[in-house]
Amino acid sequence: MTGHDVVFVLVGLLTAGGAVLTVTSKNLMHAALFFAVTLGGIAGVFLPLAADFLALVQIVVYVGAVAVLFMFGLMLTRAPIGREALDGQNRGLAMAVAGGLFVVLSTLVIGAFGDLPTAEVTGPRIDDLGIAIFADWVLPFEVLSMLLLAALIGAIVLARRETGESGEELTVTRIEMAQDRDPDALEREQAALTSGSGGDGEEHA
Amino acid sequence: MQIDFIAILPEIILTVTALLVLAADLALRGDAKQFVNPLAGLGTVAAIIATVALWGSERVTFGTMYVVDDFAVLFKLLFLGTLLAILAISWRYIAEHRFFQGEYYFLLLTSFIGMLLMPSSRDLIMLFIALETVSVPAFVMVGMRKRDLYSSESALKFFLLGVLAAALMLFGMSMVYGFAGTTDLVGIAAAISGETASVPLLLGSVMLVLVGFGFKISAVPFHFWAPDTYSGAPMPVAAMLAVASKAAGFAGLVVVAFIAFEPVADVWGPMLGVLAVLTMTVGNLIALQQRDLIRLLAYSSVAQAGYILIPFGLARTGPGAAVVNAAAIEAVVFYLIAYAVMNVGAFAVAIAVERRTGLRSIADYAGLSGRSPLLAMGMTVFLLSLGGAPLTVGLWAKFAILEAIAVDITLFGIVLAGFLVVNSVIAFFYYLKVVRTVWMDEAPAGLPQLQPGFNLSAVVVVLMVGTLVLGVLPGLVTDFSSVISIVAAG
Amino acid sequence: MSNFEQWGTLAIFVIVGCLLYAVIMTVNRIMRPSVPSPQKLTTYECGVEALGVGWAQTNIRYYIFAFLFVIFDVEAIFLFPWAVIIGDLDATTRISPVFALVAMFLFIGTLLEGLAYAWKKGVLTWD
Repeated sequence: MTGHDVVFVLVGLLTAGGAVLTVTSKNLMHAALFFAVTLGGIAGVFLPLAADFLALVQIVVYVGAVAVLFMFGLMLTRAPIGREALDGQNRGLAMAVAGGLFVVLSTLVIGAFGDLPTAEVTGPRIDDLGIAIFADWVLPFEVLSMLLLAALIGAIVLARRETGESGEELTVTRIEMAQDRDPDALEREQAALTSGSGGDGEEHA
Repeated sequence: MQIDFIAILPEIILTVTALLVLAADLALRGDAKQFVNPLAGLGTVAAIIATVALWGSERVTFGTMYVVDDFAVLFKLLFLGTLLAILAISWRYIAEHRFFQGEYYFLLLTSFIGMLLMPSSRDLIMLFIALETVSVPAFVMVGMRKRDLYSSESALKFFLLGVLAAALMLFGMSMVYGFAGTTDLVGIAAAISGETASVPLLLGSVMLVLVGFGFKISAVPFHFWAPDTYSGAPMPVAAMLAVASKAAGFAGLVVVAFIAFEPVADVWGPMLGVLAVLTMTVGNLIALQQRDLIRLLAYSSVAQAGYILIPFGLARTGPGAAVVNAAAIEAVVFYLIAYAVMNVGAFAVAIAVERRTGLRSIADYAGLSGRSPLLAMGMTVFLLSLGGAPLTVGLWAKFAILEAIAVDITLFGIVLAGFLVVNSVIAFFYYLKVVRTVWMDEAPAGLPQLQPGFNLSAVVVVLMVGTLVLGVLPGLVTDFSSVISIVAAG
Repeated sequence: MSNFEQWGTLAIFVIVGCLLYAVIMTVNRIMRPSVPSPQKLTTYECGVEALGVGWAQTNIRYYIFAFLFVIFDVEAIFLFPWAVIIGDLDATTRISPVFALVAMFLFIGTLLEGLAYAWKKGVLTWD
């Protein structure tokens, strides 16, 4: 056991503990906070692997921004908070699935990588990362800006109060079947269509 | 660092157009906003010209990350053609419904940028970013009818399942990277051949990556989002998801399966074959029960994805595999082109009918022949073609799959062919049911004549002519698709 | 050898901090008198009793701001490696400084259009 191993195991336990508490805690806010602990723990996992920059990215983006977004998202809802908040109907099933997945995955990973020789941990320097991003990966990098922009626009579109340019209410699509519908409503609809109040019966495009 | 800008010119043009559209939306007010549509159309036409100019050459740029060959060009033309049709059928629909117009067109174009990148990507990270660029705008566009609970519901389902699929895929990719030590697709193929090819974890990771694409193409059992999402989304977005986004998923699947995972084709080939059987059978059987036209089209597109998966089931590795795999890829590309022509057409007719009357139950299409002969004709041609009737491109598309099976006949291939034939027969039941309703049933009294606008009529006519002309002369496309090959010989 | 060992100082600092806290609280617990009563569990020993639940729905603007923060946080992350390498680039390196500069400014410019959009649509104002 080297210092690396000790730190790695400790941080790994912290992360796993945070993750377990995230899914088991009955209070939504506590779950979100434990989630932040988990994200921070992942940053800690990167450190013994000598990926300092990634650890900082993890802290700045995930702990600093995503966790905050998460909590604002929670506070937007009318979600009940407190002891009665989260129901546990699928608890057993979820535990079985998660446990099964854990056993399968760890067996597979140990089977595949378990006998690899250990080596000195070396991580990339930040200037190597910079060269890699701007020389090899410059196309995904630029596409990423479009992806982020689309996400930004999309979030604003969905979060704004208005429904569109005019701010009008949109009609709800009827997806019930014609024969199931209230006969009076159908008649009224057809009357509206023929009298032309829903449009002028013709289209110009 | 040399960059071949000609090779990425279509993507650049579309990106600039998207940014201009967004800026135009900020500058224009009121009814003038609808003119971002022709602006987007202009950009699309320019991108088509830039793409056509790339035909016949093979350009490799950004290291080996980005390859523009005939395979990629065919796919890009498919996407851009679909984009043009969707822009045409969107104009009045979006302008009338008072959506966020500029944002809608910006997101649409961004989604198509991701699609254009897909068939050219030769790198896992590039592929993933392209896939997300396709998906993220689509999540938002589905939910754009904000006061409509169905729209919100469909967007939420689409988003949650989409994110889950993306997460599984990324997990698989990270594991594949662990084995290969590179994200380059050709490098992965070299690294996982030999003894590594039988490690269970590697096979599991390959499956995870394929599952991610399986969601995108709505293969059973990852299809649950499709019917709800299509029926809740704005109709042009449903058309986009059913055709372009699905074709993008197939483009990514071809690239990643036949290039990177070629050494383990003996494992994923049969698995995708079984998935194909499941997908077409389940899709067709559920489609039989549908009374809502959009849901019928949704399940029909699930079934069609099953047909397109059949050639993947033929894939193999080892000596002599290159011929089989090349034939399989050709069949996939040809079927996708045919599918795009007929399915966009079917959605265009559905939009024309739904916009006027607000109805979409199949019973509401009764007597469409009397109300608009053009739309009735169009619907008939598109549905018969989807079913695979003679004189339509649909028949040749199915024939292309049988041809791919015939290259090297195996028992599994014969089973797949049997399922294809049986399913085509089942599918005819529900396609003909709609056709009968359109022509035979009396229209409910008092419904007005339908006079679709110029754009919609043009789209319907062009696609109808395309379906019939390709039905008589399939060589127009097969001549192109037969020269493509992204699999290295040997 | 990685610079992992440099983090040892930080680790010692954190551990000592935690220990100090634990020691102080333990000493406190041992030395203080223990007289439990239900009164001590109420929110205020004096003052108005709290009514209702502690849950309030926040304005969606908070969410948009948080989202903007995430997006530009990601942008900032990419600035770090760029800022480190930009000074060392010259004709002999794999990419020229102009190339890196243009690449970064395209990235920022694209995102700036998003900021302009947010500004124009009024999501940055607070009323």
